[in-house]
Amino acid sequence: MAGVHIDKTVDARGSYCPGPLMELIKTVKAASVGQVIEVLSSDQGSAKDIPEWVKKVGHELVLNEKAQDGDYWKIAVKKVK
Amino acid sequence: MSNAPKLSIVLMSPDMEKLHAGALMGSVAAASGMEVNFFVTMEALRMFLKETVEKQDFKVSGVGEKLLEKKVDLFYKMLEDAKDLGNLKVYACSLVVDVMGWEKEDMLDLIDDIIGVTAFFGIAEGSQIMVI
Repeated sequence: MAGVHIDKTVDARGSYCPGPLMELIKTVKAASVGQVIEVLSSDQGSAKDIPEWVKKVGHELVLNEKAQDGDYWKIAVKKVK
Repeated sequence: MSNAPKLSIVLMSPDMEKLHAGALMGSVAAASGMEVNFFVTMEALRMFLKETVEKQDFKVSGVGEKLLEKKVDLFYKMLEDAKDLGNLKVYACSLVVDVMGWEKEDMLDLIDDIIGVTAFFGIAEGSQIMVI
């Protein structure tokens, strides 16, 4: 987590697949180029699905880790275009 | 967007689980930059009537019951939301509309148009077509 600057956090915990991804896409679309958006997700698929979406649309994955203090993932994406 | 990859999904079954799976795949595809066109026909179209949705009169079995119980966004909500995130259109089958005597106003606002198979094949040209 250290060193990663987060501009905006989307808390999608409790939302089912593909809710966290869709929330993230919505937020990334509204963000400015260069901003880093973090999504918190308790959905099992997000840690695999979100990186795939990031790769497909050409953004940058800056963080993908399971939170130490709970059963959820923290995934951060930098909007590059 | 004309050279974007395309996906076409035909929804036929009124089963909640099938509608959910189709809407889920289509909305993720649209949000990922694909052009997505739905053609809703046969008993699936009944599930897109305002009356059906108001009464939540769905055909559910195991997974569908859980989707309702856990208040997961249902197929029509996913499709509505996906329209804001990408290029996704939903067409109602003109045969079903005609034989059932329904009007466009009877259906959810997310229905873009009422068309026949020939028009749909034109729209779907060059794409994969999934039938659910």
